[in-house]
Amino acid sequence: MNLFTKPMKLLTAVVLELTSEAVVKELLQLGALDFVHINKLDPKQMEKLSFRPSSISRAMLQDIRHRVEALLRQGHLPLPTSDTLDVKNLERPDIDAYNRILNELTTSLLSLKDKQKETNQLLMGFEEMQRYIKEEKDEYLDLRVGQVSRGKSDDLQEKLIAFGGILEPIEDTDSFISLTLHRDVSQVDPLLEKFGWLESSDAQLQQRANSLIKIKLESEHQKVLKDREEIEKQVDAIVAEQQSPLFAIWANLRLNELSDQIKSYFAYTRNTTLFSGWVPADQAGAVEAAINRGSGGQCVIEWTDAKEVPRQEVPVAVSTSKLLGPFQRMVNNYSTPEYGTINPTIFVMIAYLLMFGLMFADVGQGFVLLLIGIIGKSIYKKNPLKPDGMISRNLTELLLYLGAAAMVFGALFGSYFGLGLFPAIWFNYEAVVAGEAGSSSLFTSVYQILGLTLKFGMVIIYTGLLLNWINLFRKRDFLNMILDKNGIVGGVIFGTGIYIGFGYVGSGYKSFPSDAWITPVMATCLLLLLARGFINYYIKVKKGGEKGNPVGVIFETTFEWLIDVLEIFIGYLSNTLSFMRVAGLGIAHASLMQTFRDLGDTAGGVGGIVIFLLGNVLVIALEGLSAGIQALRLNYYEFFSRYFTGKGIAYEPVGLKTNPSVER
Amino acid sequence: MSDPVERYSFINAKLRAKIGLMRESKIIDELLHASSLVDAVAVLRDTKYHEVAQAFDRTGDVQQMELVLLQMEIAMYREVAKFLEGNSATFVNHLLGKIEIDNLKNSIRLWYSSIIRQRPIRYRSEYLFKEKILSPIDWTALINATQWETLVTSLKDSPYFSIINSFQEQELQENGLFSMETALDRSWYETLLENQLTLSETDRQAASAILAVEIDLRNLLMLVRYGWYHHMEADKVRQLLLPWGRVVRSDETAAYLAQSPQQRNPISIINRYYPGLEQEHIQEDRSHVHAEEASILETLKIEEFLSDRRKAMYQRMLASDPFTIGLSLAYFFLFKEETSMIKAVLNGKYYGFEEAYLRGVLE
Repeated sequence: MNLFTKPMKLLTAVVLELTSEAVVKELLQLGALDFVHINKLDPKQMEKLSFRPSSISRAMLQDIRHRVEALLRQGHLPLPTSDTLDVKNLERPDIDAYNRILNELTTSLLSLKDKQKETNQLLMGFEEMQRYIKEEKDEYLDLRVGQVSRGKSDDLQEKLIAFGGILEPIEDTDSFISLTLHRDVSQVDPLLEKFGWLESSDAQLQQRANSLIKIKLESEHQKVLKDREEIEKQVDAIVAEQQSPLFAIWANLRLNELSDQIKSYFAYTRNTTLFSGWVPADQAGAVEAAINRGSGGQCVIEWTDAKEVPRQEVPVAVSTSKLLGPFQRMVNNYSTPEYGTINPTIFVMIAYLLMFGLMFADVGQGFVLLLIGIIGKSIYKKNPLKPDGMISRNLTELLLYLGAAAMVFGALFGSYFGLGLFPAIWFNYEAVVAGEAGSSSLFTSVYQILGLTLKFGMVIIYTGLLLNWINLFRKRDFLNMILDKNGIVGGVIFGTGIYIGFGYVGSGYKSFPSDAWITPVMATCLLLLLARGFINYYIKVKKGGEKGNPVGVIFETTFEWLIDVLEIFIGYLSNTLSFMRVAGLGIAHASLMQTFRDLGDTAGGVGGIVIFLLGNVLVIALEGLSAGIQALRLNYYEFFSRYFTGKGIAYEPVGLKTNPSVER
Repeated sequence: MSDPVERYSFINAKLRAKIGLMRESKIIDELLHASSLVDAVAVLRDTKYHEVAQAFDRTGDVQQMELVLLQMEIAMYREVAKFLEGNSATFVNHLLGKIEIDNLKNSIRLWYSSIIRQRPIRYRSEYLFKEKILSPIDWTALINATQWETLVTSLKDSPYFSIINSFQEQELQENGLFSMETALDRSWYETLLENQLTLSETDRQAASAILAVEIDLRNLLMLVRYGWYHHMEADKVRQLLLPWGRVVRSDETAAYLAQSPQQRNPISIINRYYPGLEQEHIQEDRSHVHAEEASILETLKIEEFLSDRRKAMYQRMLASDPFTIGLSLAYFFLFKEETSMIKAVLNGKYYGFEEAYLRGVLE
């Protein structure tokens, strides 16, 4: 893992046009080049180059790929992933053939779906009748027993189907049961009459018919239901049969899309192809080798160091251990660090876990979080296609860390599901909150806990400042490193403020310290801050910037200085006090556990156990969420605001692993 | 009653987030672009409409998918009403009443087809929403009624009883259901206007601004559809108009209806209230289509124009005072618009219409 963003190099390569296809394949396979449009080159060089429109529309390739995906999903099959891509299989897509295959498959699916619809409608008819029987709404049904004296019973049965009706012969008799809906009686009557229906007056037969028709209806319902499900299975089977060609089409379309994406960055002379892109310095050799391989050595490669390019144009690659994945995502979610600066992931990890642990300190509850993380991770691992639920994949990973942090701090504070099963290694948090900490305890009042978190906040803020100074030093921005509100001067003012604050608290909130050095140090710092505006102006003019009206410059600089001073005093104070939330949540956590314990004790027996268990569940869910959010907030606002500019642009190489949804 | 900020802050934040997602969503565009019904269903799979896609997997039936969409719409009204209180909640519930009335109209149409027209309806009653929406209606009794009186009785505890009871079977047999459906719609508007008076002043202003436009647009639609396209006589058209708003009282409407049906021109009356509808706009090159189809397309163009005006009004509502019922009304409109488009596109794809044709008709 590198503490800083990876050094980058800009590649510019010329290959013979006839080898460009092979070079594309090699680069696609490697997936290390973040292409830049060649039109960013010198306009004079540009004049000699030409650009060629793609022979196949990438949008069309995407459309067909989406059709393949739609069919696979209709067949409940997983979509192919980038792991199935192999550049050796890249070939010119036969769009007509692909469309033919997809159209044929779609037609057969739609025809099955039509059948399924008809089956469903039949099913709905049976379900309606069954419902009336179940709800004893016999008045909506028209059940008759009788004989067909004219024509064929099969014909009558056929005709009754038009009304959703059933004609069922009664075994060992020449009678039939006719079941239709009463609302159709005016149409069914003439029909039955046409077939010479002779109504039976046999009460026993009528009674038998009642139970027989229920059985018939149920068997018909089951049969049709099975048919409907069978059709869905047929749909799945047809798609499954075509899985292999569909996967092959998908892969070739995807490879062609990526290849076209790479080629869209190419520029051409009569016989050569020119392209350019960013590569992490440690992969420069591999990229060079790939181009050499693809072009058979007939290529010209030039490397430009990132230092020769404006910093803001260099894409940022970071190398983070897989173990830090959840915290790297937190950083990415905020923004991309500037090129050449510190990748704050490791610091975020330490700060986040310390904050969470201080707010949610309990061995038992931490173990539950850890368990949820382990189980969730294993479920997702076993079911890679399972969509993310409320506890997402990323969250399960984070829970492993949060659970462990809560357990460590729980042991330090002696809390096990809110019970003091073992003595605290550091001090008993809950006893302090309850005002029951003995005099031997390191901490005896909540004010001391508040003080502890404030000190913790100061360390975090100073860490942020230190990182900022390192970043500015690497950027050779010495002026801001020294004279900015987040520079060394800002740090000195913050330090002096801390000294004054501690002095005030130490005097029992009666007087501020009156050390002789305080006033000159503060005054010097404020003057230096004021000087920064004028120095900035001087540098700007020296670099050819416009000269301003002296009064205006003085007014503007002084005004900016005033705002800076205000920001320093208010900002640092509020940022520091903000860390009191760590104590606040920790105290709330301890108080809640104390309350549930007391309630449980009062209820006693099973009720007491239930209250205790529910209390723990509630605390894990609500406090856990709250502590997680607050720790994130403190990182983003109090820590990042000191050093993280987020002005970087992410390094996004084109390769087989490129996510289709984030293509540029 | 709580103050507007307290009343609307939560629900409006929730709705704004939903509207934001709705605006970012490309569902309709992707649905239109889909090359078949299978592709269109795939578009819905990873969206809030995934249950609609599941209904297709299970049944292959577009009407079942429509039923799921209707259930979602009802749930959406109920969710918003749940987060409101007092008269605002009552007002939103009354809006849900429009779905109940539409469901009632569909049920009676089905009954009419079965009993009066003697066409077996088989399974079709199962596509109706049969649970309670607002009023206690025995939907099963209604659809199974063999007599008009039985049907009326199934509505005895609902507010629609008196309207339905005022019609006779004979009358419906002769004239169809149109007058009854218009009476139901009118009663809904009437109660809505009464309900609107119970709202707080700011809510009343927001709701009345929307209702006034809704009523005018509906009346203009009637004047175009029945007064122009169907060449209906003036007296009959007048009966279809809602007796509120500017359009119904205007001299232009009187003059329009006074003309013979063949001479009426809807453009001038629409331009009087919503300028911008040009003759050329609705009479694009239709030389390649049959005269009757051209006429349908022209009517559709005018209806689309009016629909765009309605849409613009709701868009404005999104930018107005956030602590009124206006935002909820705008959300209902946007949701309804989206679900209606989904229904239309799914049906279009089922019948194999091309993307360009669907865009021409629906957009």
